[in-house]
Parts: sequence; C-alpha cells; structure tokens
Amino acid sequence: MKLDRRRFLSLMGTTAMAGGVSPLLAAPSPTKRIALITTVWTYQSHAQHMGDRFLVGYPRHGRWHQSSLQVVSAYVDQKPAGDLSAQRAAAHGFSVYPSIPEALRLGGSKLAVDGVVIIGEHGDYPRNHKGQILYPRYEFFQHVTKVFESEGRSVPVFNDKHLSYSADKARLMVEASRRLRFPFLAGSSLPVTWRLPPVEIPYNSKITEALMVGVGGSDPMDYHALEAMQCMVERRHGGETGIKSVQMLEGDAVWKAGEEGRWSMALLESALSRSDSLKGDSDLDSRPQNLARNGQLPKLVKNPAAYLIERRDGLRTTLLMLNGALEDFCFAAQLANGKVISTQFFLPPTPNVTYSACLVAQIEHMVLTGKAPYPVERTQIASAILDRCLDSKVQGQQPLQTPELNISYRAPRESRFGG
Amino acid sequence: MGSAAALALPLASWSSERRRPRIAALTTIYHKYSHSQHIIDRFLEGYGWKGGHHHPPMDVVSLYVEQVGENDLSRERARRHPGMRIYPTIGEALTQGGTQLAVDAVLLIGEHGKYPVNAKGQTLYPRYEYFQQIIDVYRRCGRTAPIFNDKHLSWNWDYARQMYDTSRELGFGFMAGSSLPVTWRQPSVELPYGARVEEALGIWSGWLDGGDFHVLEALQSIVERRKGGEHGVRAVQAFRGEQFWKAFEAGSWEAGGWDPKLLEAALSRSNQLSSPKASYSNALPSTADLRRMAPDSYAYRIEYSDGLKASIVQFKGGVVGDCNVAARLKDGSRFSVQFYLPYYSMRNFFSPLVNHIETLFLTGKSPYPVERTLLTTGLTAAGIESLHQEQRRLETPHLGISYKPTRHSTFWRS
Repeated sequence: MKLDRRRFLSLMGTTAMAGGVSPLLAAPSPTKRIALITTVWTYQSHAQHMGDRFLVGYPRHGRWHQSSLQVVSAYVDQKPAGDLSAQRAAAHGFSVYPSIPEALRLGGSKLAVDGVVIIGEHGDYPRNHKGQILYPRYEFFQHVTKVFESEGRSVPVFNDKHLSYSADKARLMVEASRRLRFPFLAGSSLPVTWRLPPVEIPYNSKITEALMVGVGGSDPMDYHALEAMQCMVERRHGGETGIKSVQMLEGDAVWKAGEEGRWSMALLESALSRSDSLKGDSDLDSRPQNLARNGQLPKLVKNPAAYLIERRDGLRTTLLMLNGALEDFCFAAQLANGKVISTQFFLPPTPNVTYSACLVAQIEHMVLTGKAPYPVERTQIASAILDRCLDSKVQGQQPLQTPELNISYRAPRESRFGG
Repeated sequence: MGSAAALALPLASWSSERRRPRIAALTTIYHKYSHSQHIIDRFLEGYGWKGGHHHPPMDVVSLYVEQVGENDLSRERARRHPGMRIYPTIGEALTQGGTQLAVDAVLLIGEHGKYPVNAKGQTLYPRYEYFQQIIDVYRRCGRTAPIFNDKHLSWNWDYARQMYDTSRELGFGFMAGSSLPVTWRQPSVELPYGARVEEALGIWSGWLDGGDFHVLEALQSIVERRKGGEHGVRAVQAFRGEQFWKAFEAGSWEAGGWDPKLLEAALSRSNQLSSPKASYSNALPSTADLRRMAPDSYAYRIEYSDGLKASIVQFKGGVVGDCNVAARLKDGSRFSVQFYLPYYSMRNFFSPLVNHIETLFLTGKSPYPVERTLLTTGLTAAGIESLHQEQRRLETPHLGISYKPTRHSTFWRS
C-alpha cells in the first residue's frame, strides 16, 4: 500500500517531488539497496536514463512504477560539464564516493549494498585500432569482484551493454561470476524492448537462416543489433552452440556476398518490410517501397557492412549495417517449416527512451529475486562476435575461425520483452 | 436528394465478379504526408505487410484532386502509374469519363487542403459534398460500389447521419474512420469481449476536431466491446480554463472529473511524455506540473446510455505526443494501451487501415461497423458544440446509436 500512497501523492502534486526532495525519502525504505557504478552521469547518458528510473520511477505495465531498489551510493568516473551526479545525490539522498570499493561499502568496511549496477557507456575514453571505445567495464567489474572476494560475499551485478570490447575480458567476467556465484545480468535494451509485431521464435524451432538489419556506427550500435539477433536465434532447436567462424565485409563486397547467396535477399526484404523509416523515395515523398528489390540500396548506402556469423550447429546468421537505408532495427528468420518470422525491435524516441525502462525492470527483477532473468552468455557471445568481427575487419575482411567461441547455453522459454 | 421512389431500391450493388476491383480515389489534395498520399500510395506502390511487400489485388483507375498546389504529387503519381487517370470532376472519375459508373470501389479522402474554418473551430472539409456527388452517380446509374470515407463522416452531425442513412438505404458497403483503432497497440492487447467497464479515459495533445476525433475513435474501439454492447451516448460536456482544472482536481467522476488512476495509467503508456523536471528525461508530471505545462488543456466528459463514463483529456501544449487510453473494469483492474503511430518517413499506421479497406473492396462489407464512426463523429461535434456553448452539458438523444462490434480484433498484430 505504501507504493500506492506514494504514487497517489505524486499524482496529486502534494508530494515532495515538486519541491525537489525525493519521494523516496517520504516513503518507507525500499527493500534493496544498490550502488550505481558509472563512467559519466550527464543528460541522456545511459546512467541518467537508467539511474534516474530508480530515483523517480518509470512506466511499467500501465502504471508509474516506483522501484523497490534504492540507489544508496554511486561512483562516477568522469564529471564533465553537465555532470548531474552531485545534484542527483543531493536531491535523492545518496552519496557519490571517490572509488568503487567505497561506493560498495558506503564508505565503511563492509559490503553494504544488495546489488551493483555497472553502466560504462558514454564519457571520454580512447579508441583502439579496431575502432572500439575502451570503456572500462571490465576494470569496474574487477573492482567489484575484488570487494566480493575479500569479503567472501557477493551480490547480483548488472552490466550495461556488452561485457567488454574484448571477447577475452568478457569471458573472464562470466567466469568470475560463476566462481563467486553471483547472479550476473548484462546487455542491451533491444532484446527486452517492444517488438512490432510482438513475436518470438517458437521455442525449439529449427532455423535455417537469420538476418538482422540495423544502422549506426560500429561498436555502439552494431552491438545492440547483434544482441537483438542473438535473443531470437538462441531459442532454436538445440539452443545456442557457439560460433564457428565470422567474417566482416564492407563496401561492395557486401552486395556481392548477397548476390552469391552468402546472406539472404529474401530475408532482407522481409526485415525491411518491418521498417517504419525507409530512406530514399520514402524520405523524398513518403511513399512506401520495396527497398530490397527496387535497386536503390547501393545508391543509398555508401558504406554497407555485413557481419557474417556461422554457428557451430551450421546456422548462418548475418547482421547488415545499412546506414542511409533506414533508421530502425529489423529482423527476419527462415524457419525449417517454411515460415518466415520478422519483426522490428522498436526503439521509442528520445528523450523518454522507454526501452530503457524495459531493461531497468529486468535489473530490478534480478536484484529482488536473486536470479538473472536471462543468461549472461547471451551478452557474452554477442560481445565476442563483435570483437572477432572487428578482428576480421582489420585483417582485410578475412574469415576467421573461432574455436574459442564454443559458448553454449539454453535460452529461457519465457518471453520478457515489452512492458 | 433525388427521389428514392423513382428508383428500384436497393440499387444493384457491388458484385463479386472475378476481376481486380477498379477504384476511384477522390481527394481534396495530394501532397507529401497528406492522408491521400498515405492511402492512395499504398494502392499504387504496395506496402510492408506481414513480413513482405504487399501489392493490393486491385487498381486505382481514376483520381479526382480538388486542390493542386506547388507541392502536389498527384501528377507525378499519374505519370508513374499510367493505369490511374486524373479527371476534373468527381462524376467523371466515377464513370472514367463515360456515362456509367465504371469503378467497383471509392476512396473518399477529404483531409488536408485549404478549407474555411467555422466559428467553432471546425474545418469544413467537403466530405459530405463529395459523398452526395457519388450518390448522385449511383442513383443515376442504378448501381453502387463500396465507399471508404477517411476520418469522421463530416464536421456536421446532420450531414453525417444523412451519409450513414443513405448508405443503408442503398445497401452498399460503407467503412470510415481513423487509423488509430487499427494501428499497433502497446501492449498488443484487446479488451476482453463482454468485459464490465466502469470508466474510461483517453489522452492526447489537444487538436480540436481532427485530434478529438482520433482520441474518441481510439477510446470507442476499446469500450464498444463492453458487456451489453454499444447503445450510444446520452450527454456530453466540455471543460476548459478554470473549469477544466477544477474537473482535473476533482479526484473522481462523481466529483465532476475523472479517475486520476486512469490518467496515471494513460500517462504511463506514453513514449512521448514531456518531463516536468529539467535534466530528467522521463518523469511523471504532477497536477501542478501539468497546469504549468499545458494551461489551455480541455476535456470532454461523455455519459453513455448504459451508465459507462468516459472522458478525453486534450493536453494542449505538449504533455503527451501519443494517444493513450485506459479503462477501469468492474473488478477494479485497469486496462491501458498506447495506440502507436509510427511517425517516420512512411507513416505506416496507414498500412492496417489500407488493408481493411482492401477487405471492404474485395468483399463489399466493412470489416468493422461504420456505426463506430457515426457515433464518434457525433461525439466530436457534440464536444465542440459544448465548448462553443460555454461548456454547457448537452443532452444527446441523437447519439443513441446501438451497434455490435466484431468479436475478433481488427488492430495490427502481425
């Protein structure tokens, strides 16, 4: 009932929210305390979008849900102009600590939180020769697990986006979570955002081929697309078996690979039929078009990229990054029974970006139940695919055998997207 | 109207001859982002549907465009699609320049274009006038064809009623309305058929007439499924200014407002909710916030004949950028959805609407009752009339409209 009262007060405008004091302070303590470990907390950073939801609630299942997780501490690696962390700490009654161990111990000597949220996205970090931004997620994670190890006690950890730019570091993170036996959830919001239409690959279906099409730069956006594709194909017959080989193509080689049947034009047509934002003639005068078949693609997409990913069970999966062709993320899969399943992973607009509410709900679920709602191996394999594809890119677009990516897991049967 | 007695009625109606239906498209204007562009283009170019690019099995053979400006697209479309000819009058478009009705279906799209606005703020789109010209041809030729009328039937209730009655008298398939009832929903759910609904609320962004109609159609597409079916509306009252904020803060329908939990539910379905707090990207506004953000908002409270209570709240000035509806059921649970409109390059919310129009043209029957749009046309006019009459509560005996919705869902799900 306490939450109802708080929501009621908030709606009536009589709550302290309007006066700048946290509604959390006016209500009885939530049940679990979390530390938020982030690179940067500025307007429209991931830390702001996700962190704020613990502070002011978020839309969920047709009500304004006040989180049962209370941010009690934060670590913020960089505080550029526009830093909001001090203001948030003052308004919502938590402290920003100068180090990760202090944030986890609330400045004391004992682990004093029930969960850790690591958001290592945005901020000023160097890029390597593969074009990857070297966000210090692994390093943040190391600090967290050192505290766990020294105290012989662990709490659930969430890691935003890929585990690391490095497949090896991603593997070490998953291994540490197993060794220290804590629930570990990670990844993108795309797997849990709304889908148009709201479909799932029927569990245990035999898939013959899958294709994802997306846009944006390498490392930020291709990761989202890879994990979205992963959350679909992991439901296939036999589950995920790991990656046999990868190859990344750019430029005309992408179209040539399509002509040679190395990726399916039919699946691209199906995926693009789910797009709401086709460019070219549709931008010009809003007409619908069959962009996969009308010859416009090579004119619109100056620098296409194809991520060709072959799985150990023989499944062929492809990510096409087609900047200039569309603005959304769409998927299609050919099932062995002849059916094609296609959908758009819907990204609601800025500034609300309510897809992140869908993800925050999963974090809350994990910290409250002590169980990650879906396997971290989904994020690990998508992290590794991206890293190895970028290896292929810098090695002259050569195909790479990836015996080390024998990451196998079973997806949960239950769907967790939307909200 | 011509003498019905002089004709053998009903007229010979659309027949299911095995040929591709021929369509006449009649529109006020044809430019980028106009309704005619969205609808007619889908017949000409095809559109994404069920995981493929779908070409409707029918042809637009004639086009009438009343206003041709610098941004016109109709000429370009006719050049690329020579099967579609442009005619200077509605009569010629329907007869393809001959003497007899020469089409099997009619698109009537009277939205956008320069038309006068009356003292109440209604744009006088000539849908009724176009409709009358179509009927003249039907009567003269002794044959009819199904008609799709985009959006509300007319700004004028008497015109709308006459259009509906004529369609029944002549016995042709008549479909109308907004794309909101048939677009994606988030979540993708339907009110259980026969649910006991006590109160409902719809919200959007305050666009008199055209925008009111969309919210009312969205809301109606939900509540029409309630137990006992639809039996119409007995009174409507509008609120704005201080009266609106008084209703807003009343705390319940009984106190003169609406259920605030329904408002919270509707706001919580929005993907475009303006933040009341600087630097917070997604927060729930309080009443004080809303008053500051949207002082000129207005509402219509609707008393249905069977006791159902419904309101639409139009936040003027940008509180929500999307249309959301919530309903409280008798068991205390709340149902809420967003009617999602993909506002990107192609405005694909027209795709499910066009798909239903295809069904009308292929079967001669509207896939959902036109009475929904008759009622929402009347509700829109009544709300505006109440605003015009200083927010007086208006009895609406003319809106005692009964109909039975389809049991199956007709919104976009696949």
